[in-house]
Amino acid sequence: MTTATMREIEFRDAVREAMSEEMRRDKRVYLLGEEVAQYNGAYKVSKGMLDEFGPRRVIDTPISECGFAGMAIGSAMMGLRPIVEFMSWSFSLVAADPILNNAPKMLYMSGGQFGCPIVFRGNNGAGGQLGSTHSWAVEGLFSNVPGMKMVIPSNPYDAKGLLKTAIRDDDPVFFLESERLLSMKGEVPETEYLIPFGQARTARAGTDCTIVSFGRPVNLCLEAAESLEKEGISCEILDMRTIRPLDAGAIVRSVKRTGACVVVDQSWSFGSPGSEVAALVHRECFDDLDNYVHRVHTADVPAPYAYDLEQEYLPNARRICEAVRSCLYKA
Amino acid sequence: MNPMPVQVTMPRLSDTMEAGTIVRWNVKEGDTVASGDVIADVETDKATMEMPVFDDGVISQIMVEAGKQVPVGTLIAIICIEGDDAASATAPIAAPIAAPIAAQVAHAVAVPPKSAPHIAVAPNAASAAPESPAVASQENRQRISPLARRIADELGISVAAMRGSGPGGRVVKQDVLAEAERIKSGASPRGDLVHVASAARSERGAVVAIGAGGSEVMLSGMRQAIARRLVESKSTIPHYQVSMRFNMDPLLELRTMLNVQLAPQGVKLSVNDFIVRACALSMAAHPFFNASWGGDRIIMHGDVNIGVAISLPQERGGGLVVAVLREAQRKGLREISAETKALAEKARVRGLSVEDMAGATFTISNLGMFGVDNFTAIINPPNSAILACGAAVEQPVVRNHQLVVGHEMQATLSLDHRVIDGAMASEYLQSVKHNIENPATLLV
Amino acid sequence: MSSFPPTTIISKITPRGEIAAVTALKWLREMMLIREFELRCMQAYQDKKIGGFCHVYIGQEAVAVGTLAAIEASDPVVTAYRDHGHALARGMDPRHCMAEMFGRIGGCAKGKGGSMHMFDRANNLFGGHGIVGAQIPLGIGLAFATKYEDEVINGGTSKRVTLAYLGDGALNQGSVHEAKNLAGLFNLPVIIICENNGYSMGTAISRGTTMGHDIASKALGYGFEGVVMNGMDVLETYTAMKELVDRVRATSRPAFVDMRCYRYKGHSMSDPRKYRTREEEERYEADDPIGRLKAHLEGRNALTEDDFKAMQRDVRTQVRESVEWAEQSPPAPVSDLYRDVYRERWGPYTGSSDPEMLGGSENQAGFAATDPKADLL
Repeated sequence: MTTATMREIEFRDAVREAMSEEMRRDKRVYLLGEEVAQYNGAYKVSKGMLDEFGPRRVIDTPISECGFAGMAIGSAMMGLRPIVEFMSWSFSLVAADPILNNAPKMLYMSGGQFGCPIVFRGNNGAGGQLGSTHSWAVEGLFSNVPGMKMVIPSNPYDAKGLLKTAIRDDDPVFFLESERLLSMKGEVPETEYLIPFGQARTARAGTDCTIVSFGRPVNLCLEAAESLEKEGISCEILDMRTIRPLDAGAIVRSVKRTGACVVVDQSWSFGSPGSEVAALVHRECFDDLDNYVHRVHTADVPAPYAYDLEQEYLPNARRICEAVRSCLYKA
Repeated sequence: MNPMPVQVTMPRLSDTMEAGTIVRWNVKEGDTVASGDVIADVETDKATMEMPVFDDGVISQIMVEAGKQVPVGTLIAIICIEGDDAASATAPIAAPIAAPIAAQVAHAVAVPPKSAPHIAVAPNAASAAPESPAVASQENRQRISPLARRIADELGISVAAMRGSGPGGRVVKQDVLAEAERIKSGASPRGDLVHVASAARSERGAVVAIGAGGSEVMLSGMRQAIARRLVESKSTIPHYQVSMRFNMDPLLELRTMLNVQLAPQGVKLSVNDFIVRACALSMAAHPFFNASWGGDRIIMHGDVNIGVAISLPQERGGGLVVAVLREAQRKGLREISAETKALAEKARVRGLSVEDMAGATFTISNLGMFGVDNFTAIINPPNSAILACGAAVEQPVVRNHQLVVGHEMQATLSLDHRVIDGAMASEYLQSVKHNIENPATLLV
Repeated sequence: MSSFPPTTIISKITPRGEIAAVTALKWLREMMLIREFELRCMQAYQDKKIGGFCHVYIGQEAVAVGTLAAIEASDPVVTAYRDHGHALARGMDPRHCMAEMFGRIGGCAKGKGGSMHMFDRANNLFGGHGIVGAQIPLGIGLAFATKYEDEVINGGTSKRVTLAYLGDGALNQGSVHEAKNLAGLFNLPVIIICENNGYSMGTAISRGTTMGHDIASKALGYGFEGVVMNGMDVLETYTAMKELVDRVRATSRPAFVDMRCYRYKGHSMSDPRKYRTREEEERYEADDPIGRLKAHLEGRNALTEDDFKAMQRDVRTQVRESVEWAEQSPPAPVSDLYRDVYRERWGPYTGSSDPEMLGGSENQAGFAATDPKADLL
């Protein structure tokens, strides 16, 4: 594609374009969730979609996550392709049974008879002083479940291409957006494109240390890499894009080159994608490592409200820099 | 430099041995031992054997008590090799095993310490927590990152004595690269030999002050190679020696006669040529002398390729090379003589090629021409034996119960005990002796 | 202790229609098949041929047979974990049902589901489901989908009705309340059938549910009708159900059914039934739905004792053959462990395939060495 066809749009626009394009393409696709229709979306992601697609395909639900998530799953078993918007993934916890016990397991427990082509999407991660119950990063909690796919874009271009792939996917997809990224601008082509799952993007090439990340923290990694460059440390940043499937090959190839690996993951450390990546690297790259895999996570405490506490709680560029230096024995 | 623990495991002392019983320990914890010391008697499925150690150091821990049978490979003792730091060398020895385990070092010793407390290490504590002095002082296990180990292997850099810059002295990539750089810019201009200097340095240990009037002699590549190979040989092969005296009179008589008769043809046989032939012929009945230790097997070689040590003149940098006479078992005296001369000439004038020096299966070192009575040699890996020959010395000898004047030569075999036992060595020497003392056997 | 009304009262609630004898005989055989099947399940469970949980349907046969007779083949059905009866009444071959219990590859779910997860796509059975109440949101989703397909995609009118079953023990799950609200809100053509056997495991309905004596009236709170039906008499069950199905199909409005029935056996195989009296059980056993229909048909001279015995032999033979067939079906192979996790093939996952019941072949082909998705986690 040429730059002539590129334009700069916000993350939320990219998400909306993906949904709208797929709904024009396939009548089985519909959107439901709280405030998605008449309110134009709590975060204006679905703005204008009710006007285009009407109330049968852009559906306001009551605050009833378990009910409407389960309903959408039932409709997916019949062959529809619902997009379920959780205003926040924090609220998906009350829908844990349908999204974890039904959607990812339906194909297996029906012996291959009933799949579940559904997308659950919404804001994930700390929004900014929202307190403990509204600041969930569900990567660690949900990616533990086989049968689901997990997508976590870091920029508008990826958000659109990955969401279109998610909607066409025959398996249940958990699509994690970030309230803090919704206004992020980025270049997105006017022409249609899809981004396949399981293909990491090299967000920055480098030679000294591989940084593995996904979602919003990728941007923090880029910030950290800028400042480390001034210290003479060259970081390679892998934006995994999808946590399941995880592009293990890309991680291994990069770490074998650099000999050092730092994982940056905004979910809690215990039993997380970060720990999974660390285990993978230790297994596949053991003889290539000059140090153990360093990990940067949110602090292992409930999300605090106070601004300063929350800043320290979340992964940030300073903590990433410290981890890279430590990993390279330059601390 | 801190003391380093070396694991002593139950050796495989026979081809069929799967387990051994410690009959008796000859040492106790805290005893100082030297390489070659028999520290225990071990009963195998075949016999009771002596168990020598291969390192100098202090017995820091004995893990298997006498009377107990354990499988081959089981850790039975730990020797603490002394470093240069006298203070740390005398530090308590039994505890050091605990610290490395707690610090999650690879190859952790599987046996729990006797008295050291269990030290739990929290995640990330290795870099975050300040190093406890107590732990640090007991630190004597090599720590090295997997990547640093791999790079060191690739560059041939010995890391055995390095203390790294990482936490707890972990040798990390930058340490190995720095070492490589130092070697490259210093002693050796040849990248492929960087490992040699480091091996030599580790052997010498720390920097030695140069006194008044002293100077430094930079090592040649060859000197480095010699240093490395011999350190490797002496420190990894369980050497022992067996000597025998040969009556050289018949051989010297025959040699004189042959050299007179063959002089017109430009042939001049050396005593060494006869010894080469004698050793080669004896291989047929004693194939283990033409073999190599293979870790879990013994590799039997077919052709007898005899290495002959040749000393080089100073203008060629001095030193010692081993030229190889291939298929010596098929070659007559005349051929052996001609080839040896050609190789020696080439070594002194142009230098030997790699091929000329490669593939020896047995080596002979002869210092007879320098008037040496007897000496022992270090095995030339991967050989299993080397024969050191002194001069054929005219001396009073007893022959047929008469005291007479005759020529005798003392030959000393150095042997790899993993491959060759003492009785075998004696039989081989007797075979060589028979050939030397009945030199007609060497002619046909 | 029981607050449960006697069946004689219930039978007055719903009328018994005139059913052709041949149809009634068919239902009789279906109910007898379910009962025999369940008895053999109990036996096999005790012989350790069936693992895990096993909930049998004995006593409630008229519910599955009567309600499912009232809908079309294209109407979706979803139920809870006491699901063998629904699977058989819906038309699943008992061989595949039994093989599933035995964990064999010939099972309806290849032995991956087990007793609680009978699925049959050909018969529009969207599963037995294990978590109490979880199937009701799914059920309204099925109704949402039929209506969406019929109206939004195909531009016609809603034609299908979904049956979603639950037990009275599920009445108080949040998911059920949420689903009822959404069904009423979105006008979904679904009938939520509460198989009210009076006990939530060991808890009598009055001990766990408000308004336990009149749960049908609770549907009004969600804006749709609630109907009480007799689940102990298949003729009554069918007649009442048929009328309701026709109405729901026509109006595309949901409905709730309080289906009065009784389970003769325990909640599961390990249930000693200490929470109810033997007298109560005997009262219901005396009013057995199979016995009722038998008497009805004998009264119409449509069935003799010999006919009944022949039918019994026939059913026994069929179930015995199902057991034999299931035993001969190979155990679910370990190579199948990573199949049916995802539709897509990637990493260790080998895609999905239909079970033998649907004519699926066991394509065990693995990955090519160059598979670009092979090194995904």
